[in-house]
Amino acid sequence: MTTSVEFAEFLPAYLAEVDELLAAAQRDLLAVEEAVRRGAAQPRAVRELFRALHTIKGLSSMVDVEPIVSLAHWMETSLRLADQAGGRLPESSVEPLVEGLRAIEQRVRQLAAGKTASPAPVNLLERLEALGPHVLGTAPAAPTRRVVLDAEAAFAAKLAPSEREQLEGGLQAGQRAVRLDFVPSAERAAQGLTINTVRERVAKLGDIVKVLPLSGAAAGGASLAFALLLITVSDDAALLGAVGGAPATLRSLAVNAPEEAPVPLAPLPATALLASSVAATEEELEEPEVRRGGGLLRVEVSRLDEAMEWLAALVVNRSRLTRAVAALTAAGAPTRELTAILQENGRQLRDLRSAILRLRMVRVGDVLERLPLLVRGLRRTTGKAVRLELDVGDAELDKAVADRLLPALVHLVRNAVDHALEMPEERVAAGKLPEGLVHLGCHARSSGQLEITLRDDGRGVDAKAVAKAANAPVPESVDGLLDLLCRPGLSTRQEATSTSGRGMGMDIVRRIVVEQLGGELRMETRKGAGTTFTLRVPLTVTLVDAIVFECAGLKYAVSVGTVEELIDVDALRVVRPAGANGLGLVERRGAAVPLLSLEQLLGRTAPAREGVSRGTKALIVRQRGEPVAFAVDRLLGQQEIVLRPLEDPLVRVPGVAGATDLGDGQPTLVLDLGALGAAHGVRRKGSARPGEWVS
Amino acid sequence: MNVLHVLFKVDGTEYAMPAADVVQMESFTGATPVPGAPSHVAGLVQVRGRVIPVVDARARFGLPPGKHSLDSRVVVGQLGERTVGLLVDSAREVLKLDPRTIQPPPPMVVERAKGFVKAVAQVGPRLVMLIDFPRVMGEETADVDGQR
Repeated sequence: MTTSVEFAEFLPAYLAEVDELLAAAQRDLLAVEEAVRRGAAQPRAVRELFRALHTIKGLSSMVDVEPIVSLAHWMETSLRLADQAGGRLPESSVEPLVEGLRAIEQRVRQLAAGKTASPAPVNLLERLEALGPHVLGTAPAAPTRRVVLDAEAAFAAKLAPSEREQLEGGLQAGQRAVRLDFVPSAERAAQGLTINTVRERVAKLGDIVKVLPLSGAAAGGASLAFALLLITVSDDAALLGAVGGAPATLRSLAVNAPEEAPVPLAPLPATALLASSVAATEEELEEPEVRRGGGLLRVEVSRLDEAMEWLAALVVNRSRLTRAVAALTAAGAPTRELTAILQENGRQLRDLRSAILRLRMVRVGDVLERLPLLVRGLRRTTGKAVRLELDVGDAELDKAVADRLLPALVHLVRNAVDHALEMPEERVAAGKLPEGLVHLGCHARSSGQLEITLRDDGRGVDAKAVAKAANAPVPESVDGLLDLLCRPGLSTRQEATSTSGRGMGMDIVRRIVVEQLGGELRMETRKGAGTTFTLRVPLTVTLVDAIVFECAGLKYAVSVGTVEELIDVDALRVVRPAGANGLGLVERRGAAVPLLSLEQLLGRTAPAREGVSRGTKALIVRQRGEPVAFAVDRLLGQQEIVLRPLEDPLVRVPGVAGATDLGDGQPTLVLDLGALGAAHGVRRKGSARPGEWVS
Repeated sequence: MNVLHVLFKVDGTEYAMPAADVVQMESFTGATPVPGAPSHVAGLVQVRGRVIPVVDARARFGLPPGKHSLDSRVVVGQLGERTVGLLVDSAREVLKLDPRTIQPPPPMVVERAKGFVKAVAQVGPRLVMLIDFPRVMGEETADVDGQR
């Protein structure tokens, strides 16, 4: 592998692109597998899969990652054959394809981690290579009764062989092959009828084989129309209804009189096409291209964070401005206009903040797209029959929340399949369907929170077994049971399993949901009927790198960004000017810096504790541009915290930016030292709340 | 129609509020003090992942501070969008109160209770004060100068 400049330069874009393609490919492969199991063809998914691998191969050869190129090559080759065979794959070919995707994914991870992609396993390559001939073997035998398509209506020359076969196959299977023409217009768009929504609506009624844009005479007088070729069992009224009725038209693609000499559909001479009044526009509307364009922009999260940081700086500056204006007002200056501008400015900053936060939102559906593959793997390793239902709608989540939440959900899904669901025989014996259900649903709540429910119809949590494993009395309530389940290291299993490892790991789930995200975790369970976990998490979180310290026996946190320096305070060298009311001065690099006792500022008096000397450390923070030192007792370290703003009017106070959970179940205050000092120094009515930028 | 109420005790007196306004009850293991908050705010507690302010009923009712014990409870209530807690000495009972036994409080109680008591109910031989929960929780914002 080369480590040329170009490679390094293209790597991030390459990784992002391949990631996306892999995710799509996994989805498609699952759809193919599903179809294969039913013995059906899945031409669309096969084609998409083929395209994804083709693109992965192309991209990988551009950056010269040979192992991925060769893996993708053999997968692509067999898929091309399958595509030509009308989207049919033998069942035995699914597993090598899954392994192939996994092997590609592993190598992409290696590249992302700055390593070299390991060579493709020879054995896997051989199996993938062998797929090609195998696929050909399953191509359906030539139809005994030839069903003929109305060539003109079907734009024969525009159809690929596989598409034609799909249409004919539909006819043979007793379905209808029809051409549905949709004419877009401004009024229809206003009713929500565009080619995209029509596609979706029609796709519910049948299998769309192809969509062709028409113009000129073919469009029947309209400037533009679309012909949808599909196989369906729906009737005319339903189909026409889906495209908004007239002027839409519908016609069958089957030749009316089968007795007539069948016109072979295949190569229509080019002249015949010209003679027909069909004038399909050059550009075919193929879905992947539309998806790629789509007005989407990929942005690195770090850039959004950077924008957020600048905004935060702006807001902090605004509070300084507010204070300055308040001081002017107090001095009797005419500040009415200035105040009005400031208020306007505050609104604009809030709008800007929510706009930036919106940029960070990702669709929950996209976040969860790996789960079906996970469940597929679990099906194989556990031998259980599982159906995963995802009902996630259009809900969105902040990227930071989504990234943290996913491991918790993966954990819960694993647990559900591995521990909760019974083996098929056991289920049948209990009067259940052999196939277990894992349902994941979510919806946004008005309070800025997302509620996710994960439900299984398995055996339920055995409170006695859990109590025994935890060496505790059987809990009376389900909350108590959940508390036991979430004890670190709890396991009801004697042996570790390969999927869930030893134990449930529920403590990790709770830590993510409650401590890291500031959310809520609940459980309902019924013996023999199943378990439901409900997770409620905020749609966005503010993550802050914080310094945690102790003062007068309590822990506090302060954003690292606001702290200029940490110093040791030598009590003997603190100068206490007369009449300064406890204010001291410390020397820093030749300049005197005021030293405030944080304990005093917080109005706390705590008894001295052994081993902790008071006020021996100080954090230097800028307050109105001037350095001020805040004496604290002990520095406990630096960590990333989730900042929860304090919304309630009772506790919205200057100097407190919010609260966080350091893992002890007690809220820890996150201080804004500059504002705290200012609130005390000025003691003026209506002073600003510099903590507001984080609210 | 009888309405379900949650009963709790503060300094020996029994109080009640509609169970419909109560989200849950939690035992009290201490609150994180918030500098500059009104003096009747005991601080912040975390309830199922949410951080909520807790008002100390004794401080709010102008009673002498009591010792927190294993019986101390935080009655978590819903006030519109707000979720707030009230720290009480104990809370053990849930009762259905017959509206016919509920009377407006005597004028002296109204005066002394700063409007926190909106009615008095007779439960057998006991008198139970129905509190005006929104008023008890109040909306007084923090002291502007950050001093207690």
